[in-house]
Amino acid sequence: MMIEEEQSILEAQTASAVEELKAAIAFQGKGAVQKKVNALRELRRLLSRSEFPPIETAIASGAIPLLAQCLSFGSQDEQLLEAAWCLTNIAAGKPEETRSLLPALPLLIAHIGEKSSMLVAEQCAWALGNVAGEGEDLRHILISQGALLPLAKMMFPNKGSTVRTAGWALSNLIKGPNPKAATELIKIDGVVEAILRHLKKSDEEIATEIAWVVVYLSALSPVATSVLVKTDLLQLLVERLVTSDSLQLLIPVLRSLGNLIAGDTYTTNAVLVPAHEITDNIIRALVKCLKSEHRVLKKEAAWVLSNIAAGSIGHKQLIYKSEAMPLLIQLLATSTFDIKKEVAYVVGNLCVAPAEGSGRSSLIFDHLGSFVRSGCLRGFIDLVRSADIEAARLGLQFMELVLRGLPNGEGQKLVEKEDGIDAMERFQFHENEDLRNMANQLVDKYFGADYGLDE
Amino acid sequence: MDITYLKKRAVRRPDFHPTRKIRPTILMRRKHIERFSPSKDFNATTMTMMIDNHMQTQQSDFQYWFPALRRFGPDDPFFASGNIERELLAKQVALDLTEEEKQQLRNLDDADSEVVCPIVGCGAKLRSLVEFEDHYNARHTASCSVCSRVYPTSRLLGIHVSEAHDSFFQAKVARGYAMYECLVEGCGMKLKSYKSRHQHLMDKHNFPSSFDFFKKAQPSKKDRLKKSQRKQHHATFTTENEEGSGASAMQVEEETLNGLVSAVSKLTTSD
Repeated sequence: MMIEEEQSILEAQTASAVEELKAAIAFQGKGAVQKKVNALRELRRLLSRSEFPPIETAIASGAIPLLAQCLSFGSQDEQLLEAAWCLTNIAAGKPEETRSLLPALPLLIAHIGEKSSMLVAEQCAWALGNVAGEGEDLRHILISQGALLPLAKMMFPNKGSTVRTAGWALSNLIKGPNPKAATELIKIDGVVEAILRHLKKSDEEIATEIAWVVVYLSALSPVATSVLVKTDLLQLLVERLVTSDSLQLLIPVLRSLGNLIAGDTYTTNAVLVPAHEITDNIIRALVKCLKSEHRVLKKEAAWVLSNIAAGSIGHKQLIYKSEAMPLLIQLLATSTFDIKKEVAYVVGNLCVAPAEGSGRSSLIFDHLGSFVRSGCLRGFIDLVRSADIEAARLGLQFMELVLRGLPNGEGQKLVEKEDGIDAMERFQFHENEDLRNMANQLVDKYFGADYGLDE
Repeated sequence: MDITYLKKRAVRRPDFHPTRKIRPTILMRRKHIERFSPSKDFNATTMTMMIDNHMQTQQSDFQYWFPALRRFGPDDPFFASGNIERELLAKQVALDLTEEEKQQLRNLDDADSEVVCPIVGCGAKLRSLVEFEDHYNARHTASCSVCSRVYPTSRLLGIHVSEAHDSFFQAKVARGYAMYECLVEGCGMKLKSYKSRHQHLMDKHNFPSSFDFFKKAQPSKKDRLKKSQRKQHHATFTTENEEGSGASAMQVEEETLNGLVSAVSKLTTSD
């Protein structure tokens, strides 16, 4: 904890450093440049403290316009670098502190041009990344000031920390929720090629940032998605998923896959064709995630799998025959609620075939029977009992499949055995009308007066 | 530059709270339901499915299981737990290396030979060929051959040269052509004066009013005296040649430059 005295010393030092900078800028004699660099360096050191950097004081003393002046065209690289570094750390502060960088933004953007030294460009990109990370309105300003194109170009070299920083900043810039930047980005010449190249060959740190760029491209822009699914991207993502052990990388890679599958039926229909190697590989990769100890990986892998299971009968059979089955059964029985819900989607999707016309889906008896025999019904009835409306709906829907699908009243017996009737009766006075209706219909139809059981 | 400029990343201070809060999904997500059309449209002919063999009278309104693609936006609560770490990285501080870390790096680097930049008047010392290439690219390729100002892109350099050193450019401006290009690449807009371009940058591209593309280099004492005399004569921006018809081309440029500067200096306001 900083004691007050230390605090006020720090503030005094900062105010004084800003004054020094002001004087150095005004000075026009010999050695002016070195004076400026020294003053900037002093301020930068104060702002680079890992605990309680005096950002507020710096801003209040008028640092920002001075720093912006230090970014003027033709300034020495050292000066540009120190000024951009100061701005970076100011922008890493509280929201209003980040916003204070507004006057300097166009200059920061100008210095990420291809003729700037790499260190200068990287530092400016870093500062811009911090600004973009603050909020949507700042992203909008940066984009309207032309930040997207030069930042995208910084991804083109093969390696280096500059690529990493630029990738991170770019992911902050396009994260929306407005999809316009994402759609613009994919159209820039060379971007798709750079993305593929990095995901194929670059180290995990760079690949992670690029993967996040893909996450936002695929989540926000249908145009980007349809471009990307026609490249090697899916293949490269699956390979990373299989080979990497870094959670930082696996999360955006998995999510990108999920977005590309959910966003465009082309993926499931044309790329992940059941006989193809890539399809086997992706299921293997998803199984790896389901086995992981990380909740996020399990949950999002189940989500991806549920979307594949929503595909053709061939897809469902493929999953049914894979290593995923025992995992799904186990997760449905034992895992936490959020994972259980996603797994429920997989299981249910595996049990019904796409409907013809506007009727209800038809059942795949083999699959349904298999799951029921493995005791899955209980997991679904648990969902019916949960407070989550969506989960309860899933539970009731699955119960309907069981009641409809199992011959000779077996379905009814099973449901009763697992306390399903009780679970459904809880909805009698539930405020949600849909659920009330669904539960009542099931009870009326399958457990009506002629069921042969005492009330 | 030496390793003074290598930094490490750090996430924001501990009192930072991510702007996204995690909300539990209590409300239902209807996307996968909406595809289903209720069975009141249902008729007997659609029941010819080989697999299903329970053909009882249907109740309407039961929302049967329907397999459908589920898609989420990037901000959806579904992704919240996966986003937690990433949110912390939304802003990153650039920290100095500790003395120890610097020493380690110095030990690694001592083996490198030095490269001296051969361009006349430069003499910069670089530690490796890669650094030299970087330096050359930054310092010796996008510089103005007239006034030596350096610009970060070829495009900005080109704009500068036209606007500051090209009398043909000024002539066209004087005749009312829209010659001042917007500085944002891809915009394509052209304006008739430096001032109106400045306005366009503010209006269309959210530039602050303090941004000034053409900042005059430090003038000599003689020029500073001249400028302070001239300021008293001119209230508005003008490209007129005041020295009379005997003026040389260079003088024309200088007058124009001074005119630009004095006008622009009236434009800038500090934020």
